[in-house]
Formats: sequence, C-alpha cells, structure tokens
Amino acid sequence: MATGSQAGYQIARTTKIKLSDRNNIADQNMGVKLLLKDAHVEGIRYYDTYRKQGGYAAVEKALKMTPEAIVEEVKKSGLRGRGGAGFPAGMKWSFIAKPEGIPRHLVCNADESEPGTFKDRYLMEFIPHLLIEGLIVSSFALGSNATYIYIRGEYAWIPDILEQAIAEAKANGFLGKNILGSGFDCEIYVQRGAGAYICGEETALIESLEGKRGNPRIKPPFPAVKGVWDRPTVVNNVETLAAVVPIINLGGEEYAKIGVGRSTGTKLISACGNINKPGVYEIDMTISVEEFIYSDEYCGGIANGKRLKACIPGGASVPILPANLLLKTAKGETRYMNYESLSDGGFATGSMMGSGGFIVFDEDQCVVKHTYTLARFYRHESCGQCSPCREGTGWMEKILKNIDTGKGKMSDIDLLWDIQRKIEGNTICPLGDAAAWPVAAAIRHFRDEFEWHVLNPEECQRRNYGLAHYADAREVVA
Amino acid sequence: MAEEKKLFKVTIDNITVEVEPGTSILNAARQIGGDVTPPAMCYYSKLKGSGGKCRTCLVEVAAGSTADPRPMPKLVASCRTNVMDGMIVKNITSEKVQDARAGVVEFLLINHPLDCPICDQAGECHLQDLSYEHGKEGTRFEFAKRTFKKHDLGPYIQLHMTRCILCYRCVFVAEQLTNKRVHGVLDRGDHAEIATYIEKALDNDFIGNVIDVCPVGALTDKTFRFKNRVWFTKPVNASCKCDKCSGKVHLWMRGDEVLRVTARKDQWGEVEEWICNTCRFERKDIKDWTIEGPVNVNRHSVISQGHYVGLKMPDETFSKVMNGRQPKLLMDIHSVSEVNKPNVNLAAIPGPAHSTDFDTKTGK
Ligand SMILES: Cc1cc2nc3c(=O)[nH]c(=O)nc-3n(C[C@H](O)[C@H](O)[C@H](O)COP(=O)(O)O)c2cc1C
Ligand code: SF4
Ligand code: SF4
Ligand code: FES
Repeated sequence: MATGSQAGYQIARTTKIKLSDRNNIADQNMGVKLLLKDAHVEGIRYYDTYRKQGGYAAVEKALKMTPEAIVEEVKKSGLRGRGGAGFPAGMKWSFIAKPEGIPRHLVCNADESEPGTFKDRYLMEFIPHLLIEGLIVSSFALGSNATYIYIRGEYAWIPDILEQAIAEAKANGFLGKNILGSGFDCEIYVQRGAGAYICGEETALIESLEGKRGNPRIKPPFPAVKGVWDRPTVVNNVETLAAVVPIINLGGEEYAKIGVGRSTGTKLISACGNINKPGVYEIDMTISVEEFIYSDEYCGGIANGKRLKACIPGGASVPILPANLLLKTAKGETRYMNYESLSDGGFATGSMMGSGGFIVFDEDQCVVKHTYTLARFYRHESCGQCSPCREGTGWMEKILKNIDTGKGKMSDIDLLWDIQRKIEGNTICPLGDAAAWPVAAAIRHFRDEFEWHVLNPEECQRRNYGLAHYADAREVVA
Repeated sequence: MAEEKKLFKVTIDNITVEVEPGTSILNAARQIGGDVTPPAMCYYSKLKGSGGKCRTCLVEVAAGSTADPRPMPKLVASCRTNVMDGMIVKNITSEKVQDARAGVVEFLLINHPLDCPICDQAGECHLQDLSYEHGKEGTRFEFAKRTFKKHDLGPYIQLHMTRCILCYRCVFVAEQLTNKRVHGVLDRGDHAEIATYIEKALDNDFIGNVIDVCPVGALTDKTFRFKNRVWFTKPVNASCKCDKCSGKVHLWMRGDEVLRVTARKDQWGEVEEWICNTCRFERKDIKDWTIEGPVNVNRHSVISQGHYVGLKMPDETFSKVMNGRQPKLLMDIHSVSEVNKPNVNLAAIPGPAHSTDFDTKTGK
C-alpha cells in the first residue's frame, strides 16, 4: 500500500524532499560527542580502558579546585537537568543548605522508568565510569561524603556493573578516604528500587531510599533543605551528573558554546517506535527534528516506507504532536531538537524536551489505543496519595478503554477533557500532570480520531490503526 | 518587658486576620471561621505530618506576600501552606477554587459506595457534609465501583476499605500513638488499601482512636455497629478516672443505655484528647461515668434534633390540616422492597440504573 488509501481519507504524497535539501545549520557542530565519544571503544566499561581514554582527568582537575569554583563552572555551562524538568543544575547546587555539622548528600536518580526513555541505562551499562567520575566531582562540589545511586529495580543487571566500576575506582584511589591526597572522603552506594515509576520523583525517591513507602513528600521543604534523613540533599539525573565530566574538562564557558540559546551542551535522546534505527543518540541540540528523524546518522527515517503520523518527543509524559506540528512550529518555522524549540507554542501547539524519550508513530498507529495504554500505565503507577490522581487516572483509563473497544460515547471525549483538567495542577507531585497531559494533547490534536472510534464501533475493533490523514504528506528520497 | 511578636496579616476572602508566623492558611481561616474555612478531609491538627493529600482544602493565593505580591501559579493546599505577611487568599471568592473543589469531591465519590443508608458513620460523616456543600448532584462515573472485602482489625474495629478515602489519618494515629505499627497502606494508586500486615490484630491501648479520626465510615466501632443511628442518640460529656487516658469522653446515649463512647471532638470534628481502648470499648455502663452535661452540637447537624428537650407534638391533627378528611394511607410502605431486587447487582450495571433493570415482569 503505497499511498494512504483508508476509505474517505485519501491523501496524495505531494512534496518530496531530499536529505541534501535539509537546512544545514547543524553541520558546523555536527557530530560533537561528549558523553558517548568513547562508547564504541572496546572495554570502555572497565577502568583501564576508560583511564587510557583520558578518564578521571576531571576528578584530578576538580580536586585542585574549590567546591565553589566547580559550582561556578557548572553554572556557567548552562547545564539543565536531564531528568525531565530541565532545571539549571548549577542553580540547584547553589541552593543546597549548609548547616553546621550536618552531612549533605548527593543522590543520583537512575530510576529511569518513563516509557520511551532508556538513555541512562545505556550510559550506565556501557560507560559506567563516566557516571562514577561525574559523581565524584559533583560530590566534592556539594560536600557529599556518602553519595547514592538509586537505580530502577528492573535494571537488575546494572547494579553489578556499577558496583564493579565503584570497586575499580576505589582500588585506584578515586574513591574512599583522602581521594588523591586531597583530604576529601567519598563513598558511593548503589540502592535498588523495587519497580515503581513514582520512585523516580525526587521526594518519593528519598522516602524509598530511607526504606519507606515511596510516597512523594509535600514541598516545601525542598530536598536542598531537608532531603535524605532530613539532611540537605541534591537529586540529579544520571545524564546530568555524567555531563559534569566534560564541563570540568572543557570549562563551563566552552561547554556552553555547544548547543543553542539556553539548550547548552549535548543531549542523549533515546529514539524508539516506528523508525529504522531505534537507539540512543547524542545530539548537540542544533539539529532539526526533521533531520533527527530522517537522517541516516540518527533514526534513519520511518520504518517500512510508512509515513510519519505523530511523535512524543520527550518521554511518555509530554504532549504528543501530529507530524505537521512536530516538524514545524505553528508559526511555520523549523522545529529543532532543543528545550526552547520543542516547547515553542506552549501546550497548544508545542511539547517538551522532557527526558529525551523520542517515540515515533507511523501512519498505521492508533492514537486512541496509544493514549489508553499510557492511561493504564499512569493508573498503575500513581502512588494513590492524593485524590485527583488516584481516582482520576483510573477513571480516564476506564473511559479510554471503552472508546478503544468501541463502547465509547461522544460525551466521553468532553468528559475526559474535563477529568484531565481537574487533575492537572491540583496534585502533590507532577505525576498527576504527567497523566493529564498525554490525554489532553491526544484530544487536542486528534479529536476526530476519538470521534471516529465512537462513530465506527465495529471497524475500530477490527483495525489496529486510526485515521491516517495526519501523516506527513512528504516522502523522503535519500 | 514582654517581647513583641510580629504578627502576619493575611486576607482571606476579603477578611483580614493577624496570625503568628508559621500558621497555615487553613488555620488562619479557622480563626475567621464560617464559610471562609476550607474543608479539610485529611489534615488533622493533632497528627504531625497529616494533610496535603485529599486536596479539598485547595485555595488560590492571589498575592504571595507584601514583599513579593506575585500570585502563586497553582492552587495550593491550604493545610500545608504557611501564611506570609500581606498574603491575599481567595477561597469561596475564587471560581477556580470552587471548580477544582467540585472536581475533588467528584473524584472522592466515584469509587465511594454511597451506602449511607447502611453506614454507621451517616449523620457524622465528613464526606457527606463535603458532598452536600461542595459537590454536584448526579454522577458522571458509569463503571463498576472498586470494592474490597471487609476486614476485622482486632476484636473491636472493623475496616470497610470500600468506603475509605485514603486520608492517611489512621496511619498517622497508628504511627504516632501506638508503639507497634502493624497498620499501614499496601499497594498503590486506586488499588491502594489500608491494611494490617497479614491480618494482624491491633492490640494496642490507643488504637481505637483510628475510629474517631476516620472522616468516613471505613473504620467503625464493632461494639456499636448497627446498634443505632447517631441522630437517635444523645451525646453527653462524661468523664471517669482512668489510669491510661484523661477519661474525658462523649457518651452516645439512648435512654439510660450507653451505646457508644468516643473521644470529645472540637468544632472542626477533631479529637480533643485521645482516649484509651478500655474507656472506648469496655465502659458501657452508665455507672462507670460521671455525666457532665449535654454536648453542644452544631445546630445544622442532624444530631441536634432537639433530643434534650422533650418531644414536641404538633398541635394540629391530620384531619384539621386536611379539612376533615382522614387519609387511610400517607405513604405506601412495603415491609420488603419490591424495587431493590437482591439478585440485581447495581454495581454491575453500566451507567445509572433504570426501571428496566428491575423489570419484574421480564423476571430479570
Ligand atoms: C513521576 C516522576 C517520575 C520521575 N522519574 C524520573 C526518573 O526516572 N529519572 C530522573 O532522572 N528523574 C525523574 N523525575 C524527575 C525528578 O523528580 C527530578 O526532577 C530529577 O531527578 C532532577 O534531576 P535533574 O535536575 O538532573 O533533571 C521524575 C519525576 C516525576 C514526577
Ligand atoms: S500526584 Fe499521584 S503520584 Fe503524585 S503524590 Fe499524588 S497520587 Fe501520588
Ligand atoms: S480508613 Fe479512614 S482514616 Fe484511614 S485512610 Fe481510610 S478514610 Fe482515612
Ligand atoms: S486537608 Fe488539605 S489536602 Fe486534605
């Protein structure tokens, strides 16, 4: 089936674009790799190889600096948190309270459970020493003598890899007492989670780390004031902490030159869905979304010669965008893979960078079914503390299931809209918002697909795809 | 010289009060009282760490403080947000708040069984009051409700989890009042439940207080279950010499019979002093107690049905009202309802039940 030929929704493929016609502003920086530059080196998982490639230079450099100077470099680098919210890391570090005589802690958030996000896994599995190196530098900057890695329970094989890396670093004097004669002591402990998405939320993570039920705490107080065991704590994502290594090596200012605007440095994107080359890519945030999807260097285009229908650019929690709004903003400008450009247009016509989980849908995918799947996920993962999230997620799931199985009513669509509106912003932690946004965006951009399901209750049961007339009408010829 | 304390000025729904720094918006509103006070289903001033969960107390902060008069972007839980000097709060004057609160009430009710007619808490249930004051009539939820099995928590307390709104108050009681915690939350999300680990009995002197803090009929006193409706009982203040607790209680009487003993509650429905299990469950003889006098019940409550004064009969008779006619029957009351067919599972009907669902002719 070469052209979209679903009854009533015939679309001709009009424009054809060539990869060489692409907007090429990215080319000057193209290929800058900071985190994954040695990913292909055999044995990089082990200390000797990592060290030979220049590893642990950042620790040697940082321990000769003052902690304040390191925080300053991170501030200058413009590094934004890679866990989802994009909060400037240097600023977060400077908020940590320093009461006399009370220990402080750094906690690495490796709970990566967002559907579509698997970049941290790649980093920890293949280049564990990069994270350990980043942790040592960051611990020194924050004054944390006991640093924790809280890792997702399902990543069952990775704690061993991390623990081996920690042991190797310790054997070589980079961890333990009096590191490199600097007088700084640091230990890193790996703590496994038990398989709850909510334990990735930083305050739930802290509760869980303390051995309690992983319920998010009510803020304030913020972790920077009262975190683990009521001590000042910084929680950062794996990728954020790994990025501290190139920042120290290059210097904050040099790092900030990579990227564009407030999206500095490089970002790991885990691409998945109907693309030819799913995987983890390091990008420098100046490339366009179109290039990322279609170029052979990255996703390699849509699989099986299909057309692009929609995409969730930043992990399951961020709004889904139809092809036209994904490739170009509402103003008709090219959309780029960076924080500002992806959120251009707000939630009405934009999305978010989120955690970098890039999920691509081709023309055969059904947005209703997909939204139902996500609703099921959020219902299952809600901690159940606050009423809007606990009850609202379950209600949305039930309605979506009805629509998906041909039992929906037209009024259900407005009802869904009203439910998500009453969850968003009214909950303790952002999981409520994360459950509401995908539903809101799906209805906002794909309302007629929901209506089609209501109007064609039998056909929507037989066919595992929705309407295709959202698909990008272009075809790529390489 | 007495040290002068700086008080914070806070304006809630255009009424200004001065409160001590560190006061929450909710407690500031309680100082004003009346409609201005947001409803609180999970916060309990006597339980450390409580609040923030039910989201019924959400308010809008129109101005953060005199120093930083920017509004807060989201509605905040008034029970867990402290006032700042010059803060301006909107509760019933904010449409956003009314709308969100109606949403919260709807969320709390979608899985609630609404079995008030057979629930011991009816008449003193905070969820009933909340729904009446802030909810909408009718429901948009057309699915089977979530149900749980009933559990006995020890010999005196029954947990009817289906009615629970997961306010966590009982969890805090178990944590803060008792020395061995075997009571908590299992599982998560809408399948989370209050439970004791492996059905352990709760043998602790103060565990009975979980009944008093429970805003709904999820935790009930087995010594009182189905004995009476609260509005048929008379609450009186009473006390006894107890070596475990203060012995200050409310007795819920019918005639000379003590049907139930609870702790004394203040105007916000909160326990004044915790009482021990002996006072609550075992002292059911009027001779155990010194009666101090009637409890002052809010006149809007169904419990204040003039039980302390003698029953006042209407002067007019039916025939007088109906111009000499003597009706045989005022209402058609069957001893056994024809409508409520026991073989029809109401929860299993998709959507609201209709008369056809009970169609006796088709024998459904
Ligand atoms: C429901 C939920 C799940 C989250 N899961 C993760 C996660 O798996 N990994 C992560 O790094 N951050 C996660 N976050 C974000 C964290 O709360 C926190 O913002 C982040 O760890 C801060 O690190 P960063 O500043 O380096 O991004 C989650 C947030 C929420 C609300
Ligand atoms: S929003 Fe959901 S996950 Fe977050 S605290 Fe509330 S119930 Fe728990
Ligand atoms: S049983 Fe009662 S007190 Fe305990 S959480 Fe449920 S509603 Fe709250
Ligand atoms: S009383 Fe404030 S959230 Fe429940």
